[in-house]
Amino acid sequence: MPGRTYRAGVDIGGTFTDIVLVDDLGRVELCKVASTPDDYSRGIANGLQQLVTRIGVDPGAITGIVHATTIATNTILEFKGAKTGLLTTAGFRDVLEFRRLRIPVLYDLQYAKPRPLAPRRLRLEVRERLGPGGDVRVPLDEMSVREAAATFVAEGVEAVAISFLHAYANPAHEMRAEAILSEILGPSVYLTRGSEILPEIREYERASTVVVNAYVGPVIRHYAEALEARLASVGITAPIEMMHSGGGIMRLAASVKRAAALVESGPAAGVIACARLVRGEGTGANIISFDMGGTTAKAALVENGEAARTDEYEVGAGINLSSKLVKGGGYPIKMPFIDVSEIGAGGGSIVALDDKRRVTVGPRSAGAMPGPVCYGRGGTEVTLTDVFVLLGYINGESLAAGSIKVDSAGARAALETQIAGPLGQDIATTARGVLSLAVSTMTRAVKAVSTYRGRDPRDFTLVAFGGNGPVVAADIAAALGIRRIVVPLAAGVFSGLGLLRSDVEQEFVQPLLKSTGELSAARLEAIYADLRTRAMMSLADEGYGTDAAVLRATADLRYFGQAYELNVPVADLDLAAIEEAFHAEHQRTYGHRSLRDPVQFVNARLLARLPSASVIAEFAPEPAFTRKPRQAIFAGAAVEVEVIGRSALGDIARPGPFIVEDYDCTCVVPPFAAARRDAAGNIEIEVTPQ
Amino acid sequence: MSEIDPITLEVIRNGLASIADEMALIVMRSAYSPVVRDIMDYSTGLCDPQGRIIAQGLTLPIQLCSFPRVMRFVADKFGDDLHPGDILVTNDPYGSGGQHLPDIYVLKPIFHRDVLAGFAATVAHHSDVGGIVPGSVAIYATEIQQEGLRIPLLKLYNKGEPDAALFALIEANTRAPIEVLGDLRAQVAACTTAEAGLQALYHRYGREGLGTYIEALHDYAEAMMRDTIRELPDGVYIAEDYLDGVGDTPEPVLIRVTLTVTGDTIDIDFTGTSPQVAASINCPISLPESAAFTAIRCLSLQDIPNCEGYMRPITVRAPEGCLVNPRFPAACGARGVVGYRVFDAIMQALAQVVPDRAIAGSEGGPYLLSGGGSYNGRQFVLNEMLVGTWGARATSDGIEGISNPAANLSNQPIELIETEMPVEITSYAMLADSGGAGEFRGGLSFVREIRFLQDMRFTLRGDRRDHPPYGLEGGATGSPSQHLLIRTDGTETMLPTMPMVSCRANAGDIFRLVGAGGGGFGDAFKRDAWRVLEDVREGKVSIVGARRDYGVAISGDAVDAAATDVLRALR
Repeated sequence: MPGRTYRAGVDIGGTFTDIVLVDDLGRVELCKVASTPDDYSRGIANGLQQLVTRIGVDPGAITGIVHATTIATNTILEFKGAKTGLLTTAGFRDVLEFRRLRIPVLYDLQYAKPRPLAPRRLRLEVRERLGPGGDVRVPLDEMSVREAAATFVAEGVEAVAISFLHAYANPAHEMRAEAILSEILGPSVYLTRGSEILPEIREYERASTVVVNAYVGPVIRHYAEALEARLASVGITAPIEMMHSGGGIMRLAASVKRAAALVESGPAAGVIACARLVRGEGTGANIISFDMGGTTAKAALVENGEAARTDEYEVGAGINLSSKLVKGGGYPIKMPFIDVSEIGAGGGSIVALDDKRRVTVGPRSAGAMPGPVCYGRGGTEVTLTDVFVLLGYINGESLAAGSIKVDSAGARAALETQIAGPLGQDIATTARGVLSLAVSTMTRAVKAVSTYRGRDPRDFTLVAFGGNGPVVAADIAAALGIRRIVVPLAAGVFSGLGLLRSDVEQEFVQPLLKSTGELSAARLEAIYADLRTRAMMSLADEGYGTDAAVLRATADLRYFGQAYELNVPVADLDLAAIEEAFHAEHQRTYGHRSLRDPVQFVNARLLARLPSASVIAEFAPEPAFTRKPRQAIFAGAAVEVEVIGRSALGDIARPGPFIVEDYDCTCVVPPFAAARRDAAGNIEIEVTPQ
Repeated sequence: MSEIDPITLEVIRNGLASIADEMALIVMRSAYSPVVRDIMDYSTGLCDPQGRIIAQGLTLPIQLCSFPRVMRFVADKFGDDLHPGDILVTNDPYGSGGQHLPDIYVLKPIFHRDVLAGFAATVAHHSDVGGIVPGSVAIYATEIQQEGLRIPLLKLYNKGEPDAALFALIEANTRAPIEVLGDLRAQVAACTTAEAGLQALYHRYGREGLGTYIEALHDYAEAMMRDTIRELPDGVYIAEDYLDGVGDTPEPVLIRVTLTVTGDTIDIDFTGTSPQVAASINCPISLPESAAFTAIRCLSLQDIPNCEGYMRPITVRAPEGCLVNPRFPAACGARGVVGYRVFDAIMQALAQVVPDRAIAGSEGGPYLLSGGGSYNGRQFVLNEMLVGTWGARATSDGIEGISNPAANLSNQPIELIETEMPVEITSYAMLADSGGAGEFRGGLSFVREIRFLQDMRFTLRGDRRDHPPYGLEGGATGSPSQHLLIRTDGTETMLPTMPMVSCRANAGDIFRLVGAGGGGFGDAFKRDAWRVLEDVREGKVSIVGARRDYGVAISGDAVDAAATDVLRALR
C-alpha cells in the first residue's frame, strides 16, 4: 500500500532465516527462507524481496532493519576468525593462554584445552607498567611498540588487540600504542583495546574479551559491508541495526567496533520478545522464557519486565549453564549479556543407548542435515523430533501447512531397533521415558536461571516459544511445579519478532571500588551525572535523537572481601537505600546478610534506552491447512486427541488433552492441563500440580 | 518400587549433581577470601543418610573423596543426636576426619519429615586459622598444636541457633576474621540451598523411591568401576616416587605404592613408605585415600556417577606411623603435596599396564607462598597457590596453563592481588624448553615473579626440584622447580623447596617461582618434526632445544629434513 513504511526484523539461524515485517500500523507479515551460509546476505536479500513482492510495495518502503546473527559465534566455533595479534605489558603475554586454569570436566586425563585465539608468536610485549590506581610506574616505551608493529606487519596480521595491565584505570598507554599501531599498520588492520571495550579490573577476562573482539571484528566488518551492498543492490538502503547480547540494538557501525557483543544476539532477541510480552500484554510480571529449537534449549529470567543480565559468557563452551562455575571450556567475553542458559537438547538431539543400557539425549545433534529420521533427509539416528512424532505430539504426516513431509514409520522403526528393542520395552514406554529424560535435561537450563539464583520457579510464568518449546512446555512446567504457561502469537518466529520490539540500548560503567562509607551523595551525583553525559554523547554520535532516552541507574555492590557483586537498582542517590537494597538482594540470593561487614561500591552503571520498538497490532492470516484428530501418548496411555487451530480456542479454559497446531509451531496440552486464548491471541495454559 | 527404570535413574542423578554444582556456585559467589573466591580451593558434595557420597560439585577431586571418612566420624560421634537446623563443623585431622587445619568442613544433616534424609557437605581452605605463621602452613611445625586452632567435630548451629561461643572462638584465633567468618557463611549458605534441593527430590520421589534409586546409583557406579578394573591384567604393580624433603639439606621422602589388581578389585598398599617426619608434611590418611580414588577414577573412560559406589572395589591401606598415616600429634599443615605425589605414584604403577590411559608427571601440585602483615591499616594474608602444567599423554602433548589433574584450582587475578596486597607481580609466563621431551611433549612450566613492596616474612611449600616430574614410555622428565630470591642489589639466592624457616624479604626484593615442567611421553626422537617446528614457532621450544632434545634441525622457519635425518640417526 503506497505511503506506508516498514521495519524488518531479520533473525539468521543455522537452518532458517526468519523475517518479520511490520508496517507503521502494526500489521505483521512473516516469511521463512533457507539460510545461505556461504553468504548470509544473499538469503536476507532474497527473503526481503519475496516479502515486498508478496505485499506489493517498493523495497524503498523499508525504512529500518533490525538484525540478529550467529556469524560471530560461528566464526569462533569454526576457528574462521582473523589472524590476530595481542600487544601486552612486558612479562604478561601468556596471561591469555594461562587463562584461569580451571578444568571444565573432572577425572578426564585426555582433556584438550581450547587453543588461544591469538597464538603465542603473535602475542608481543611492550615496556610499560601501570599501578593499580592507574599511576605510571614504567612509562610507555614507544620504540618497543614500533618494533612490535613491524613484526605484526611482517606476519600479516589482520587484527590486533591491545591489553595492558591496569589499563582500566588509565587508558593513556593503550591509546598511545593504538595510535602508533594505526599509523604503521594502516586502516586495513582492525585495532581494539581493553580500556575501550572493557574498562574493568581482572586482566585475563579483559584480555580474552578484547582478543575475541579482534578475532571476530574483521569478519563482522566484512559482513557489514557485504550486507549493505547486497541490500542496496535490491533497492534497500534503510539503516541497519544489530541486536547485541545484552538485548538492545545498536548501529551496524557500532557493532563492527564491538563485534564480540554479537555472540548471543539471536537468543537475546527471544528473551526481549518475552520481556515486551510482559509489558505489553500482561502475562504477570515475572516469567521464565523457554526457547527450544533444533539444537539447544534456552531459558532466561524476566522479573518486573526486565530480563536478568549477567556480565560474563563463555562462547564455544558447548553448554552454558548461566553459571560462572564451569570455566575453561570456551572463550570468556565480559560484556552485558541477557543471562541465557543453554543446554544441548533440541529437536535434532540424538537419542542413544550406551553399553550399560543408559539412555542419553544429546548433546550430539543431527542438525538440519541429515536431520531427524522422520524428515527423510538421510538421518538414521533417532532424535527427539522422532520421539515427538511417535508420541503424537507433532504431526505424523506433515508440518508447516504441508510443506515438510513426515515419515512416522521410519521414526518408529529407528526407535524400535536402536532403543526400545535393546531395552526390552515397548515403543510407548520408551518414547515417554525419552521425553522425561529430555525434560530433566532441559529442566537444568530453567533451574540455572531460577533455583541457582535463589528464585522459586513456581512463582513464575513459563513463556514457551521456538519450534519445539510449546511441545514440551507443559512437561517442563510440571517437573518444576510451574502452574502457568503462555505460548505467544508467532511463537515459531518469536525471536524475529523480538528484534522489532527492541530498544536502542547502551550501557556505561564507572568502576569505583570504594566502600560506601567513603562516598557521599554529592560524589555519587557527580558520577552518575558524568555517566549521563557519556550516554547522551554516545547516542548522539551514532545519530540517534536523545530526547526520548530513558536512563536506568544501577550499582554493583558486594561485601568488602567478596569477589562477585550483586547488581541493584539505584532509584535515587540515597546511599542508605542503595545499601539496604544490596543487603536485601544478598539475603534473597544467599540466604544471609551481614550488617557488620563494610559494603563496597564496585561499579556505577547506567543503561541508556531509546524506545524504538514497533507497535504490533495484528498478524496477517496464516496459510490454511486441515487438521484431524490423532493418537497421542501421555503418562499411562494413548488417547485420541483433537487437533485444533489457535483461533478455535476460546477464552474459557478447555481441559486437555488436545493439541494446537499452527503454521509455525505446535502446542501440546496434556491431560493435566487446560488452555484458553487470551484477548491478545496468546495461548494460556494452566497446569495442575502433579 | 522394585524395578529400576534407567531413565528415572538418570533424572535423579542429574538432580543430585545439579544440587552439588549449585552449592559450589553459591560458595564461590558469596565467599570473601581470595583462596576460596578466586583460587577456588573448596569442594561441595551431597551424602545419603548413611553418609555415603552421592554427588560432587565441579570442584577438587583430591578433596572430594575425603567426605566419606568425615561422615564416618559424624555417625560415630552424633548417632541419633542430629536435628533439623543443626550444622556441624570440624577441621581436625585427629579424630574428626580432617586433612589439615585450614580446611574447615561444614556439614548439614538434611531431614525429610523429621527423618534423616542425607547430608550437605562442604570443605573450604580458609585463609588463616592461627598458628605460628600467616596462612597456617609452616613446614617447620612439628606438632599440630603449633599449627593453629583445632576444631573437633562440633555443632556450629544447634537446631538453627548459631553457637555464639564457637564463632567467637574462631574469630579470635585467626589473622583474617572477616574472610574466615565470611567464608563460613558461604559454606552454610551452600548447605542450606542443598537442603531445599534434596528435600524437593524426596518430596517428588518419596522416601522409599529415592532411597531405592540412590542404592541403584551406587550399584551402577560400582559395576562401571568393576568393569574398568576387570580390563586390567591381574598382577602386582609397584611404583615409587619421592618428595624432595624439607630444609636446607633435604632428605628424600619415599612414597611407595603396591597396587594389586585381582579380578575386579584394586588394593593400594603404602607399606614401605617413609615414616612420619618432624615437619608439617605428614599426611592424614584421608588425603592419600582421596588421591587414590581420584587416580583410579581417572582410568575409566566412562562417565561414572560421582558416588561412593565406585569406591567400593578399591581398598587403601597404610601402616600407622608412616608419612601417609601419621600418629597424633604429627603436624600436617603442608600435607597437600603428599596427596599429589600419591596420585603420581599410583599413575606410574598404572602406566606399567595401561600406559595409554595414564599421564606423565604434572607440575607436582600447588606451590604455596604465604605471607602477611599490615597494609593500609588492615591485617592481610597473602596466599598464592600456583598450579599450571600437565604431563604428556599417549596421544597428546601435556598442557600448559591448566590446573593439576587432581585439583581444580584457579589463579588469582594479578590486578586484584596488586590492589589488595603490597606486592607487584612482575611476570607471569611460560618457560621455553621446560616441558619434558617426548614423542608427546610435557607441558611447559610457569614462572611467577613477585616483587615485595614492603618488608615481609613468607613461607613456601614447593617440591619437584631433586625429583622432577616423571616421563613415561621413554619420555624425559620435566624441568625442575626453582625458588629464587633476587635482592635489589642483584644477588640471587636459591631457597629450599620447603624451607624450615620463615623467609624474609625486604621491600624491592623479587621472588621468582618456577614450577616444574610436565614429563614427556614416548621417544622424543620419534616426535613428528612438524610438531617440533610448531613449538619453535610458538617459542615453546628453542632452536637449540629442538636440536638437542628432539634431533630436529630448524633452519629459518622450516625443518631441515636432511640435517634432521642425520641427527636422529646419530643418536
